[in-house]
Amino acid sequence: MTEPTETTDPNYDGAFDAIVVGAGLAGSAAAITMAREGLDVIAIERGSSPGAKNVFGGVLYTPTLRELVDVDDAPLERYVAEKRFSMLTPEDETAVSMRPGAWHEEPHNDSYTVLRGEFDEWLAEQAVEDGTVLVTETTVTDLLRDERGTIVGVDTDRPNGELRAPIVVLAEGANSLVTERADLKETADRSDVAVAVKEVLEFPDTEGAIEQRFRLTDEAGVSYHYFGEGAVGDAFGGGFLYTNEDTVSVGIAYRISDAVDRQPKPEETLNAFKSHPAVAPLVRNGRTVEYTAKTIPEGGPDAIPDLVHDGAVVVGDAAGLVLNNGVHLEGTNMAIESGYHAGRAVAEAIEAGRVDAAALSSYPEHLEGSFVVRNLERYGWLMERAIEDRDLLFADLPRAIADAGEEYFRIDRDPKAVHAENAKERVLETVGGWTGAAKLAWRYRKVVS
Amino acid sequence: MSAQPSVPDVDNATLEDRLYTVKYEDPGDSHLDVKVPGFCAERCDTDDCIDVCPAGVWQQTDDGVPQIAYENCLECGSCRFACPLNNVVWEYPENGAGVTYRHG
Ligand SMILES: Cc1cc2nc3c(=O)[nH]c(=O)nc-3n(C[C@H](O)[C@H](O)[C@H](O)COP(=O)(O)OP(=O)(O)OC[C@H]3O[C@@H](n4cnc5c(N)ncnc54)[C@H](O)[C@@H]3O)c2cc1C
Ligand code: SF4
Ligand code: SF4
Repeated sequence: MTEPTETTDPNYDGAFDAIVVGAGLAGSAAAITMAREGLDVIAIERGSSPGAKNVFGGVLYTPTLRELVDVDDAPLERYVAEKRFSMLTPEDETAVSMRPGAWHEEPHNDSYTVLRGEFDEWLAEQAVEDGTVLVTETTVTDLLRDERGTIVGVDTDRPNGELRAPIVVLAEGANSLVTERADLKETADRSDVAVAVKEVLEFPDTEGAIEQRFRLTDEAGVSYHYFGEGAVGDAFGGGFLYTNEDTVSVGIAYRISDAVDRQPKPEETLNAFKSHPAVAPLVRNGRTVEYTAKTIPEGGPDAIPDLVHDGAVVVGDAAGLVLNNGVHLEGTNMAIESGYHAGRAVAEAIEAGRVDAAALSSYPEHLEGSFVVRNLERYGWLMERAIEDRDLLFADLPRAIADAGEEYFRIDRDPKAVHAENAKERVLETVGGWTGAAKLAWRYRKVVS
Repeated sequence: MSAQPSVPDVDNATLEDRLYTVKYEDPGDSHLDVKVPGFCAERCDTDDCIDVCPAGVWQQTDDGVPQIAYENCLECGSCRFACPLNNVVWEYPENGAGVTYRHG
């Protein structure tokens, strides 16, 4: 184990303009931005290295990252050449798949699979190269305030571990103990948080398994999302499968409020998903090289806490900035974007010799104008509706569509028109006839507008 | 041809084997606890902490106060959100101890 830098060094106190809590995506993006603006930055990470405690699906989205670092240098696994969305009943699969030719070209739609252990360490290294001081194996336990209530630093689990600086950037992720303890955020309701489990699989006995099973060459990869009863029972959530260079990431995520009463344990739900007839052929003979678990904030725009305080900003998952609505599972780009805007705002405030919330307000202003808040608001309603309609959307409709597909393509001696009519009837009966279908279309019209 | 095409067997590793894949350093004592044991015993009959945990940390006991196998913990945080009585004490293991993921 590498010897961690001691934060007890008295020279540290007051030596920094900003303290970053957590060297994940949001924290490192903020550190890079601030260091480039000439600030003295220290990042405190609880893992033995950045990424050592981090888990995601996943696909890293890189539009903002590209502005900050040389993405070609990063430890990327594969670019996403195919996106596929499947509805699973317990027996059937009905899927939509996209393989646009353009995704094979740089910059590959800014979507790459990565593994966080390696990637986060690399990103933090970029921050260090820009002058950030990185301290690992150190957990921030609380915030320090002055008599006026302004946040003036952090306390850590190191002996005499207090550290002071004008600004604290809270980038601690979904399990935001420090932000909550400091009363900057309420603990999320369990219906606004998903539990996720994931396995990384390798295929030692099946040469070329990934290329063959997913129809891939070179550095192309896939992102598969699954919904419906066959994925996560009657919980609200879904399954995912991503290809890495030599491994496959497979997992599930669903709301904690469902995990406690509608579902077998997460581990068993994962087993059932992997054994689904549509998934098993893709993961068979896989050897588990790692099993991981994490939470995902999914409270949407209403759950975003105040982003700026006197002496502090909140970024990334700690601020609930994740879009997880079934179709999209995006937090990486929002973490990086928020870290970037926060970093800029901190630099401006320090330059102006101020640390109060008002002086930091360009961060929430820029974030509101960016895709982060706009996407969250755009899809916030979708989550609410989808939860109200969950039985229809995740169980009844997938079954009806699978049946309808089977009927539509049925080969027998009846004319095709009969099958088409039957198929239509099967779907209509589930959604409540043409009136029901029209109502449903109206309810979800904004998905495509 | 057989009528029912066989779904290939997926050999799912046991929870024990899964947990073995994760590098772990024992912090020495538990970073998890319950605030008021009496709440678990008398006011909670759902055991949501047990149901949500992907690592089998929380275990049923006769007296209704769950036993905590903290060394299995993957530090996901789910039990903290799951407990309806907000009765879970949850700290990070000190100085980076606990799990270290290689892939993540
Ligand atoms: C299963 C799963 C699948 C996902 N899939 C995708 C996907 O495919 N695409 C996508 O875009 N997003 C995905 N997401 C969301 C995405 O992972 C997050 O939005 C993103 O990681 C948030 O970054 P962050 O920097 O805010 O937090 P994190 O990445 O969680 O980083 C927080 C950092 O802070 C450190 N830390 C925490 N507390 C302390 C403390 N007290 N002291 C010191 N250090 C601390 C942690 O160790 C960590 O390094 C997924 C999430 C999960 C859980
Ligand atoms: S859910 Fe909470 S109250 Fe109930 S047994 Fe678990 S910790 Fe105790
Ligand atoms: S943090 Fe996660 S793994 Fe650890 S005890 Fe709680 S639910 Fe289980």
